[in-house]
Amino acid sequence: MQKIELHHVSKTFGDLTVLQDLSISIEKGEFVAIVGPSGCGKSTALRMMAGLESATSGEVTANGNLITKPHPSRMMMFQEHALYPWRTIQKNVSLGLELQSVPKQEADSRVKAALLKVGLKGFEDYYPHQLSGGMRQRAAIARSLVTEPEVLLLDEPYGALDAMTRLTMQKELLRIWEETKQTMILITHDMEEAAYLADRIYVLSHRPAQVLKELTVNVPRPRPRNHPQLAELKKEMMEALQLN
Amino acid sequence: MQENRKKESSSRSLSFLKGSIPYIAAVASLFFIWQFVALFLEDFLLPDVPEGVGRFFENFQDPEYISAVTSSLYRLAWGYPLACLLGAVLGLLAGVSKSFSIYLRSVISILQAIPPITWVPFFVILFGFGDLPIILVITVASFFPMALSVLNATEGVSQTHLELARVMGATKVDLIRKVYGPETLPSFLSGAQVAFGNAWRSLIASEMVGGVSLGLGWSISYAGEIADMDGVLASIMTIGIIAIILDYAVIGGIKRKLLKWRYAGKGTA
Repeated sequence: MQKIELHHVSKTFGDLTVLQDLSISIEKGEFVAIVGPSGCGKSTALRMMAGLESATSGEVTANGNLITKPHPSRMMMFQEHALYPWRTIQKNVSLGLELQSVPKQEADSRVKAALLKVGLKGFEDYYPHQLSGGMRQRAAIARSLVTEPEVLLLDEPYGALDAMTRLTMQKELLRIWEETKQTMILITHDMEEAAYLADRIYVLSHRPAQVLKELTVNVPRPRPRNHPQLAELKKEMMEALQLN
Repeated sequence: MQENRKKESSSRSLSFLKGSIPYIAAVASLFFIWQFVALFLEDFLLPDVPEGVGRFFENFQDPEYISAVTSSLYRLAWGYPLACLLGAVLGLLAGVSKSFSIYLRSVISILQAIPPITWVPFFVILFGFGDLPIILVITVASFFPMALSVLNATEGVSQTHLELARVMGATKVDLIRKVYGPETLPSFLSGAQVAFGNAWRSLIASEMVGGVSLGLGWSISYAGEIADMDGVLASIMTIGIIAIILDYAVIGGIKRKLLKWRYAGKGTA
């Protein structure tokens, strides 16, 4: 597992300062949510952890080593499910293994196990457009699991889902995390989602993003959705963001 | 089980029949208009449908006509693939380089404004009469739909698709093989299809004006000069039928095969 840290990170795109002196630290195996207004730079921070973007100044590290480019041990889930429309579900899920030249037989059995885990057994030969939104998201989860990454970076993965499917998928995600104990970093603007899922929550300000508040969620899992402490946390987040 | 399968196959052939009704109606209506007009005109002005169709089949027993068809197809077989290749290469380069893309778009908009057959005299003066001027006209006329289609597709490759592959450890070669390639393939094929239409039209047109004495275009213009309406109609049929076979059966077949995923039924799950 990996510990992910941002040390005094700044990022500018031309004249636009997206992040300024941001420091965040995520422990091994921890589930951290990063909440902030849209366009505040939280996705940029996550993309830096993935190695897709580099810091203008400051350091982004994994276990103390500088992150300079993507590495299969840090998998990212995107806002859209981002399945490749020309590949079947089987082939979509196996792409990561294909890129790492895992032998076909081993790849097949790992894909099978991953699809079973997310409840997509029997849909191997379907194309993404033949599945519902929730099923596509399940396939995207299977793809993230199959390579057994140490860190899962989630960029508002459920933003495009309807409310009911989103709740189901949150439970799925927790179930999987409890099995794998990966380091999870979730970007979201859904405060209830953050409180329900995470061990710890960073609340970021408007651009350039800075940490407004750091909250620890002490409610034991499985968490009842209507737990008073979760409601209290949501209130604190809203106050920090000056939304009430 | 067997019963089921039988039912399935009979319902499939029924739906195939249903699906082909519009096509049959399209062909039938053209013949109907022809026959309807022919009722009011003298035979030498417009013959009846059976006569025209008969001439169409007779033509294929005439070795001279067959060599006209093969020499047209020979020119197409050089000019069209050349155009596709040129278009694909230019389109890919422009898809990667912004300034080359602006350059290519300007060249194309100039070329598009010039009807392809106006190049016939130009190439005839340079290279003399023969196959070469016509092949070059085909290439000029049909490379740009391919180039534009590939250019737009390369520029439009989804950033998320690329980043996802990079996150999973894709190298540059992987990106080309596993993302750029399959993602632009549909545009390669539709570009090739539009290019084919251009190629075929400019082939026939330049044979009609190009001073060659062999080829489908020449046959039809010769038939016109000697007021042989049967011959004109039969050649029109030949030109249309060859185009349909090449476009739908050959290019369309390749498209359906390569883009299987696009034709997979919807909503099964």
